Amino acid sequence: MARDILLVDDSATIRSMVKRTIQMIGLDVGDIHEARNGIEALACLEDYDIAVLLVDINMPTMNGIQLLTRMKDNARLKDIPIVIASTEGSEQRIQQLSDLGVSGYVRKPFQPEQLRDVLTPILGVLENAGTENSYTDDDLF
Amino acid sequence: MPEQRTATLTTIFSDVLADLAFMFNDDSDEVQYSSDELWLESSVSYRGVAAGTLRLRCTRTFSVTLAANLLGVDPTDIDSDAKADDAVKEFMNIVCGQLITALHGTEHVFDLTIPEIHVLPEMPDMEDEGTGETVAITVEGQQLQLAYLAGDAPRE
Repeated sequence: MARDILLVDDSATIRSMVKRTIQMIGLDVGDIHEARNGIEALACLEDYDIAVLLVDINMPTMNGIQLLTRMKDNARLKDIPIVIASTEGSEQRIQQLSDLGVSGYVRKPFQPEQLRDVLTPILGVLENAGTENSYTDDDLF
Repeated sequence: MPEQRTATLTTIFSDVLADLAFMFNDDSDEVQYSSDELWLESSVSYRGVAAGTLRLRCTRTFSVTLAANLLGVDPTDIDSDAKADDAVKEFMNIVCGQLITALHGTEHVFDLTIPEIHVLPEMPDMEDEGTGETVAITVEGQQLQLAYLAGDAPRE
């Protein structure tokens, strides 16, 4: 069953580019929802059954780290896989994201193949094992 | 050192532009804009163990072309200034992330501001060195001015 994805980025340009990329690389996904910040993302998570989030860090109102923290504190949301798509290249930040339980990281600008390589195992695992996450961080970072 | 930073900024800017938008620097001195062309200024700053601001001045025509190329659509499909502005801001965000790594490595965490953009009241002086490290480049017939300002962002 195709699963819904939520794109969280304050840039409409990036959301459009990622949407086009996901369609281009042929991932079997359901609806692609969009949010401009963490607050909108949390509202969307209330309304839809989201399988994976692709989240920017640097956003107004509620940034990606704050969204991640909020989700990890919520029993219903804490196991939803999150992939960070950001301009940041700091090893310390990437370690922090890994410690917070992020499922993958792609650095902007990224190639379609990089996005496919991060999302495929997550969506594959979801397809094969319900919502249980059995991939490891080493597969994705 | 300032010349090195300017060269690094130019290289990163050009590489991201080519990778992301398939747009390229050209050596031509023939720039294409009319006297009534709108000029924009976009900036993004970062702060951490070091601080700096990246600034771009470009024409509205460039911003529309950039947006169209990023989105894979015809420039005539960029039907609002907001779409073009958003493309420039996100582009600056990406260039800034790459510049931080090039200048300061990957060891430290830096906080980036949300990129800003506004219309300039008149065409900027492309030779103006100002207070930063400035370079003028031409991309597909459009002249751009890039600047790196070390330290905290200047206050209005």
